[in-house]
Amino acid sequence: MRLIGFIIVCICGGLLLYGTSEFPDWGDPASPASTHLSNDYIEKAFDQTQVPNLVTAVLADYRGFDTMFETAVVFCAGLACLLLLRDYSRKKERFYRHVPTGVILQVKHPEKKLPVGTEFEYMDKDWVPSDLIIKNVCRILIPFIQIYALYVVAHGDFSPGGGFQGGVIFGSSLILLAISYNLRTLVQRVKEKALGILCALGVLVYVGIGALCMPLGGNFLDYSALTRIIPWDPHHIRAYGMLGVEIGVGIAVMAVMVVIYINIASEGRHDEGL
Amino acid sequence: MNQQLPMVIVVLPLFGTIAGFCTGWWARKMPFILAIMALGGSFTGAVVVASGVMKTGPLHYHISGWIPPFGIEYRIDHLNALLLVLISFLALATAVYARSSVEKEMPDRVFLFWCLYLLLITGLLGIAVTGDLFNLFVLLEVASLAGYALVAAGDRRAAVAGFRYLVIGTVGACFYLLGVGYLYIATGTLNIKDLAVLLPPLYGSGTVITAFIFILAGLAIKIALFPFHAWQPDAYTHAPSAVSVIISTAAAKTFTYALIRVMFSVFTIDFMRSNAPMTGVVCWTGAASIIIGSVYAIAQDNLKRMLAYSSIANVGYLVLGIGLCGATSLGLKPVVVHLVNHALIKGAMFMAACAVIYRQELRHISGLQGLSRQMPVTALMLVLASLSMIGLPPGGGFVSKWYLILASIESGQWGFVAVIFVSTLLMLVYFWRVIEMIYIRPPLSEPAPVTRWSGEQPLGMMIPCVVLSVLSFAIGLVWMSGALDGLIQGVNLNFGLGGVP
Repeated sequence: MRLIGFIIVCICGGLLLYGTSEFPDWGDPASPASTHLSNDYIEKAFDQTQVPNLVTAVLADYRGFDTMFETAVVFCAGLACLLLLRDYSRKKERFYRHVPTGVILQVKHPEKKLPVGTEFEYMDKDWVPSDLIIKNVCRILIPFIQIYALYVVAHGDFSPGGGFQGGVIFGSSLILLAISYNLRTLVQRVKEKALGILCALGVLVYVGIGALCMPLGGNFLDYSALTRIIPWDPHHIRAYGMLGVEIGVGIAVMAVMVVIYINIASEGRHDEGL
Repeated sequence: MNQQLPMVIVVLPLFGTIAGFCTGWWARKMPFILAIMALGGSFTGAVVVASGVMKTGPLHYHISGWIPPFGIEYRIDHLNALLLVLISFLALATAVYARSSVEKEMPDRVFLFWCLYLLLITGLLGIAVTGDLFNLFVLLEVASLAGYALVAAGDRRAAVAGFRYLVIGTVGACFYLLGVGYLYIATGTLNIKDLAVLLPPLYGSGTVITAFIFILAGLAIKIALFPFHAWQPDAYTHAPSAVSVIISTAAAKTFTYALIRVMFSVFTIDFMRSNAPMTGVVCWTGAASIIIGSVYAIAQDNLKRMLAYSSIANVGYLVLGIGLCGATSLGLKPVVVHLVNHALIKGAMFMAACAVIYRQELRHISGLQGLSRQMPVTALMLVLASLSMIGLPPGGGFVSKWYLILASIESGQWGFVAVIFVSTLLMLVYFWRVIEMIYIRPPLSEPAPVTRWSGEQPLGMMIPCVVLSVLSFAIGLVWMSGALDGLIQGVNLNFGLGGVP
């Protein structure tokens, strides 16, 4: 079996190399990929969309429909994670530590909870006492990371960045919170249903902006149709339409990242874990 | 508003997903209602679009308002229109069927099932209308990802089956993407129509041939053609009932459509002819798939697994038809006919088989004795669909095989005629076991007095099952009456096939 696998890999690799043999030279300005469509994008994109970042113009406008479904793929990953990992069974046992004595208690009854406070504290399965320095450094860092994330989302039109990157940065700030404190802190601050709604909301913003263009007389995602409700120059409105969908992407990506992290870290139980 | 319909068809299920996910946390029944509404809307839209295409020819829809090679376009010709109607119809029927089965199989996650189900349908419908190779890849990912998750939500061994499906399916998608990348390097465009114009001078280029082989291999994995089928039997067997139905019908047929589109719209029949060994390889792979799928099907005792192997054989029929189409005046007729027939037949069979599991927990053929008493309607439907597939005139399977044999004879390939005859015999063997168990063998134990109807599936599951199996026979009459000949001619014209070879 291993031999067959090796042979197949060799055949595939050989084919790929054979295919590359007739590639145009690296960075060849006369290659089809640089002459057929690229020139038009480079020459016209700024006039047509008023977005200085060509990559954003292609991703969010010319091929914005692909990006919409990329967002749907991310949303789908979040849904899949919930479907497969989320554990709705209530059969779970909890561990508590009695603070004065250090005794660890195991409570098997799923409904019974001990008052957590000065006397008892949660004892998560993989609980590690968190470090004071880490906690405080992260607490100071997190707001800045989040501001930076918003900046990346908002500046997608002008510089490298955009919804996917900004969403990932924002999501990672929340995951940092879960790592530096504990998962329970995150779960208490961001409710599961709120996260779920945010996932869907992000996609809805994108699809909604696209669909809104249809009753306004344009085709799907034709941002220029939005001038009917926002009286603006039809080229500038494309830039704002792109900003709108980028925000949608950012929300969806952020929420999905956190959903996936929580579900994996807590084995789907949403209460304790890393 | 009518010109926006192609987009509405695709976006409606996506809206259904979002709305279902937002409301599902509180209102348990809502996602199902939304799903039915969205799919009903898509089906109506698909029928309207299809009748428009039949009257006025291919439709174009420029997304974002950009002219095609710059933006993405939807292009709906006769084959797309047929696919749209087929997918949305099957999706609607399966949704009606799924309601009871999902309630039983994953009671705490019903709304997540509906959301992913609608995403799967969005992906499939999107593949069926798009005129852009990269957009096709993105939608392939949407559909596949939803498919992996849904498969893995099945019975105890489904997680492993789903994981296998995920790994192998992703390899398939990567192959497809590699192929598209190579094509982009060679031509600088992703639009199917544009590619068809730019590619002919490059037919001899190694880059283009490699791209063709990789796309072909990637999609062959997705449709579970013989050497690439390893993921399929497990996935079909262990998936939840409704998922088995939808991925074996709508999903499998959509990926087959993608294969046809790439082979004849991007590369055209001239490319196949200029690389002659290609056609032979395609034909013989199909033939091997037919024989090996059938032989494996005979060896199975698990009913769903047997149907899965039978699907591999039927994919072989489709691929054989695709390989032969350049050499006959029938063109793609056998393929299109079998695409529709097999979707209906397999849908009916999986629905009946899963209903038996739903009610009786009977997964094995050897345990079906006495089923005709406990579930008379389901048993009848299972047998009806089996007869249709074996090729009892005027069933759908008969018409498919008839045209396929005609195509083989016309192209002078008598070997394939023999393959079809042998596979029909093998089919008779494996379906006869089912018929024998249900109707001929006496039940193991005397049934309790009131069992005659008590074991029957709920009405919501029975209606789609009956509709599909009756249709699987009726469609044979429709094909023979020539009512849809205009459609087939349209398909052949769009691909430049079906003339004198």
